[in-house]
Amino acid sequence: MKNVTLTLKCEGEMDCPKEIVMWNYYDHEHLVGTHYKYYNQARVLAEKDSWALVYRKMKMPLLPFHCSGIALQLMENNVMKTFHKDSIGFLLEMEVHFKDLPNNRSHMTVIYNINTHPFFKVFQSMFQKLFQGWFHATWVEDAPMRLRRWKVHNLGFKDFYGIDYINKKLPKPGKIEVKKYEFNPPIKSFSAINTKDGLERPFDESVELGYRD
Amino acid sequence: MMSTEITETIKVNNKEGTEATYQFLATLKELKKDGQLTRWIDDHDILLYEYEGEIKAISNVCRHFGGPVGYHKCKKGVFTCLWHNWQYSAKDGSCLTHSGLPLRQYDIKVIDEKIYINLLG
Repeated sequence: MKNVTLTLKCEGEMDCPKEIVMWNYYDHEHLVGTHYKYYNQARVLAEKDSWALVYRKMKMPLLPFHCSGIALQLMENNVMKTFHKDSIGFLLEMEVHFKDLPNNRSHMTVIYNINTHPFFKVFQSMFQKLFQGWFHATWVEDAPMRLRRWKVHNLGFKDFYGIDYINKKLPKPGKIEVKKYEFNPPIKSFSAINTKDGLERPFDESVELGYRD
Repeated sequence: MMSTEITETIKVNNKEGTEATYQFLATLKELKKDGQLTRWIDDHDILLYEYEGEIKAISNVCRHFGGPVGYHKCKKGVFTCLWHNWQYSAKDGSCLTHSGLPLRQYDIKVIDEKIYINLLG
């Protein structure tokens, strides 16, 4: 019998350039940070230039159990492809298409596909509900991260340094030279995510006071 | 539509004898609510909190990628940045995960239940 493909397409726009969103999608460390409610563990098994092989353990909304799996994530120009093999045996293929819009805005199209045995065709609507929920849950948590990243970039923020006039207790310069935001994987890291231990979320519960951006 | 933001400022003489400008940041009542709060003033993102009976203010911008240090409520004297879990001491803003990258501390004054901050202090 011929396999069937369970599929879902989601779309969204952001008030920042697409490179910021690429950084966010490709950033493995933020899984156990920004998405600490869903991800328990993340580990980069191998990484080079525009690809990474990542182990993740997580709990998706609606599912009563934890999932873990290995994902190959790669950037091809304006598309990020992820092939995620989970512990149950499904291969999830995800594509994120990034497009710039005028006025430093961007549009993303996310396509989820699972090519599987025809028996699972009856689960198409459940698959869509599950991944629609997943897309929404992670988008809501990522959106303020992207906007803040863009905001601090425009204040002259430099990675592993900060904002110069703030660090040095100087008046804000009248004009800040802001370079075009560039995304050049891999993302520099000094954490344990590249080690055998990987990164684990530091707590399960938190009193969230939120962003004030 | 145009909007006008009025910021309350005060001038205070420092120990060195120079005059410094402090801007209104929050009321004590606002701070007491959760024991910490964050606020943007003139492109400074400030984390205001009470630690061992002392009111302190540090930068809320993580030195790693610019994340919000005060997103989570402080636990056992430690702030954990939401984005990548970098940790900072509430005692002095020092970075516990990556030494040498402390958060900048701000000078504050409390006058008549109001908290003022010196953005250059």
